[in-house]
Amino acid sequence: MRKQLSFIETIGFCFVLVSSLLIASLSHAAPVSEGRPIVIGAPLSVGFNYGLGSKQSIILAAEEINAKGGIIVSGKRHPLKVEVADTRDLEPGVPTSEGLMVVEKLLLQQKADFLVGGPIRSEVMLATMDLVSRYKKPSILSVGAVTPTFNKRISDDPNKFKYSFRTSGNSINLTTEGLGVTEQLKKQHGFDKVYIMGQDVAWARASSSLYKSELEKRGFTICGYELYPTGSTDYSMGLLKAKESGAKIIFPWMDMPETSILINQWYDMKVRALLIGYMVAATHPDYWNGTKGTCEYIADLYTKAGTVPTPALPKSVEFVNSYKKRWGKEPISEYDGSCYTAVYVLVDAIGRAGTLDSDSVAAALEKTDIKGTVMGRVRFDKTHDVIYSQDPKEGAVSLWAQWIKGKRVVVYPSEIASGRIELPPWMK
Amino acid sequence: MGILIYSVVVSITLLLTAIGFALVYGVSRLANFAHGGLYILTGYLVWGFLNKLGVNYIGATILSLIIVAVVGATIYQFVLKRVRGMPESEIIASFSLALGIMEGLRSLGLVGFAYTIPVFVRGTVVVAGVPVDWQRLIIIGVGLGVVAFLWVFTHYTKPGLALRAMAQDERAAMMLGIDSDLMAVVCLALGSALAAVAAITILPLGNITVETGYNVLIYAVAVCVIGGLGSWPGAVVAAFILGFAQILTTAYLSPQWHMVVVLLAILLTFIVKPSGLLGRQKQLEERV
Amino acid sequence: MPQEDRRKKRLDRGVKVRTEGIYAISAPRDIAYLLIPRLVLILGLLILPLLLQNIYWQKVLCIICVFGLLSLSFNFLTHFVGIVNLGNAFFVGVGGYTSAVLQSSFKLSPVLSIIAGTFGGALISTTLLLPCLPARGIYFAIASLMYPLLFPRIIEALNIFGGTDGVIGITTFPNIWVDQYLVIIVLLVTLFALRRLVNEDFGLILRGIKDNDQAIRASGIGVTWYKTQGLFIASAIGCFTGAYLVHLYGWAGISLFGLDFSIFPIAVSVVGGSGALVGSVVGSLILVPMSETLRAFGTLRIMIYCLILVGFITLKPEGLMRYFTRKYEQFEHWTRV
Repeated sequence: MRKQLSFIETIGFCFVLVSSLLIASLSHAAPVSEGRPIVIGAPLSVGFNYGLGSKQSIILAAEEINAKGGIIVSGKRHPLKVEVADTRDLEPGVPTSEGLMVVEKLLLQQKADFLVGGPIRSEVMLATMDLVSRYKKPSILSVGAVTPTFNKRISDDPNKFKYSFRTSGNSINLTTEGLGVTEQLKKQHGFDKVYIMGQDVAWARASSSLYKSELEKRGFTICGYELYPTGSTDYSMGLLKAKESGAKIIFPWMDMPETSILINQWYDMKVRALLIGYMVAATHPDYWNGTKGTCEYIADLYTKAGTVPTPALPKSVEFVNSYKKRWGKEPISEYDGSCYTAVYVLVDAIGRAGTLDSDSVAAALEKTDIKGTVMGRVRFDKTHDVIYSQDPKEGAVSLWAQWIKGKRVVVYPSEIASGRIELPPWMK
Repeated sequence: MGILIYSVVVSITLLLTAIGFALVYGVSRLANFAHGGLYILTGYLVWGFLNKLGVNYIGATILSLIIVAVVGATIYQFVLKRVRGMPESEIIASFSLALGIMEGLRSLGLVGFAYTIPVFVRGTVVVAGVPVDWQRLIIIGVGLGVVAFLWVFTHYTKPGLALRAMAQDERAAMMLGIDSDLMAVVCLALGSALAAVAAITILPLGNITVETGYNVLIYAVAVCVIGGLGSWPGAVVAAFILGFAQILTTAYLSPQWHMVVVLLAILLTFIVKPSGLLGRQKQLEERV
Repeated sequence: MPQEDRRKKRLDRGVKVRTEGIYAISAPRDIAYLLIPRLVLILGLLILPLLLQNIYWQKVLCIICVFGLLSLSFNFLTHFVGIVNLGNAFFVGVGGYTSAVLQSSFKLSPVLSIIAGTFGGALISTTLLLPCLPARGIYFAIASLMYPLLFPRIIEALNIFGGTDGVIGITTFPNIWVDQYLVIIVLLVTLFALRRLVNEDFGLILRGIKDNDQAIRASGIGVTWYKTQGLFIASAIGCFTGAYLVHLYGWAGISLFGLDFSIFPIAVSVVGGSGALVGSVVGSLILVPMSETLRAFGTLRIMIYCLILVGFITLKPEGLMRYFTRKYEQFEHWTRV
């Protein structure tokens, strides 16, 4: 006999429900304080590596600035307050409207003055651009969302989107980096046969097909070009084909965690090709321990520098140390440097504008020119995207790091490298 | 040759993940959508025991197996038992539990790419000119072992025979004194343990992420649907068909389509023969 | 009294019996008994946008109505047609994309594209689901679950309709009042229309299909045809939701097929009460604001949510609305057996 709740129990149940609702909503009432804190809203998907890393970087930056006294605007001292809200936008089943609701909540209810960070998924980011424009709050995208559609929208209607900025860069830059490193390998070792494995999502398709066509123009042999759907758990066929075709470079374009399976299979099969490319899975500092060293010799692209320290970027060494001290690990995501820098870029712009007014801050952001950040020099181009370069004195750089003996060594671009690209022993 | 070997590997992997789900559905007609959640839970438990509590590998795996089996039994006892017989409620209840487990794991901060559990043996072996790593061979061994174990269990041991009896005709079994609730609990515990075994052998190939739980569920459902909900040999056959289909598509078409292949296969089965290849549903029960 | 010796005895209240037939109009008290719950609902929903000061909460109200509609669609299918549809997101996606593509390709006004999205989308989704319709119970449930998982991958693989970037730059509604009142009115109209429908002949056949489709078949009525019609109605509701969302935020993307759009409406109808269409609205009014306030808990929110859902399914499966309806219409007391 199933037990049904009695009347009293039902009323009690409803009461608990309603009161928890009330308590939760009351806890939202922000206390009004004096030297009013400047609220930075951070819409991030904190249930994922990118989101968590960004959250930690942004909070780290804000704490550093507050320790130095906060921001001074027209003679008053304002501390920074970071409000992180979970957009869940990286979760596959979650509709964009969730992310948009979160951003609206940040802007309207939590009274964010500026937005830094996400959304991370391009689809959500593009929809948020309209919100940012409607509510007129400067926003600096600093993690993911590298679709070139951002640039296109801004150049089509610069006035509508004048509040949107991006420090995470553009997917075309990724292809440029890929070409650069492949050319270097050709020069150093004579490798000219490449096997390309892309993930079946828009950014990877775009980047990998551009990469492929450029390589063909430069006289490389493309031994194979495959697209793997997100969630693929088996790369044996691709690796076997790469082996048979004599490819010397296997270049993945993937951000899914299943890339680890590819890496492990590559290691186990001892494929005589260098595994180098864009594999987000391997950018985590604990990856070596996790794979017990099977990831040795893979070289990985980090969209923006800062995550792996290198003497050529002195600020990155400081950043990595502070991050480790604050959060117990080295930076966990490739965009951590970009997020950390974004907060400083914002503060710098507020300082130059001398006011918190959105239009002035947006205008000041356009004129940003900070040298020596953790990822190089930060300037924005006409489409409000950070200017990319391989020279840290000119623009924001990406970096390639290779796992050697448990540590990551920056191997490219040469302007910031602290080591050469090593080949695995079975290839010599 | 490589295609053949890897098709077998993929097929047995699919079989391992799906057999727990097939078992539970076959015996008590319960679609246990929490299967994927239990799979991932095992992974994280083993990781936790190994890295946070410093238990050795064997201990960690055995403890996790037991814990997950208990979790499965608890799910039945407190949730599924009350909603048995109402298909939509069962699915909703078990799916929300799965969601709760997986999102709960996510909220504990278990995000990122660094969670792995170690392989049994590291290294590769060359089989007929094709390099295959030991772990995959072990998967084949474990898969076949599990099928063999289940066969022996359900044909020669008392509880196993009781489970088979329940699968064939629940009422008749009850008339013979088999306690259907107790058997269902045992069944769910066994099914969860099988999910755990699958997790322990397959997860070392890559890393543990919460999203894998959702994918595992889709694969398990696909295999069981195609093979016939309620038929264990059907699940075996379906696993092989799906595995070969996936590898062949990857090898000859492009890897792009292999997920689509899975979903299309499910749809085709429903349109043509909803009870699957070897399903035992009567024609009238399955469609109008 | 010890458990075994007693049972609950339920009697209809006097006023309920009196108001059952034409004599309901004989006394103002009886009329009030019937009208007040309905009036409270209608007027309450219509006044709510004026009471909420914050734009954010007004947006939440829109989302409440959206999920109320989706839950109505699910409720209608499950409890009045007998089809368990776990893939509501499919309707949302099809409706949304149809409307978005029509809007961006042919530059239709929002009104036209919403209407086109609703009925065109319903046509498309019903046709696509048609092959699976003859399957019953759990088979259809699983099949319907697969559709919203399959289509985004196809869109992604073929890179049509904007691929993973989605379709952007769709015209939105002119102001927040249109946003809210449009969906509130549609919600109310749909609710009462469906309630009327299930008591008409057509509705009776559908309910018969749910109860015992073999009997309906034996009566010479084409079961599949009626199921198709029922599905068309439900999918029209779902597609409207999709088209509305697309114009609310000005975007359309793969996430329109997200699992949230399938699971949340089911949760709403479980909490609000299955079998009573009003339950969908009530459930939505409770769950959506609760979900919003739970955001304070971050990722734990979904877990808490799932626990509540499981709690309701096991402990109070009839849902809140049924419970309150019973209280309103009957009184109960324990009697000795």
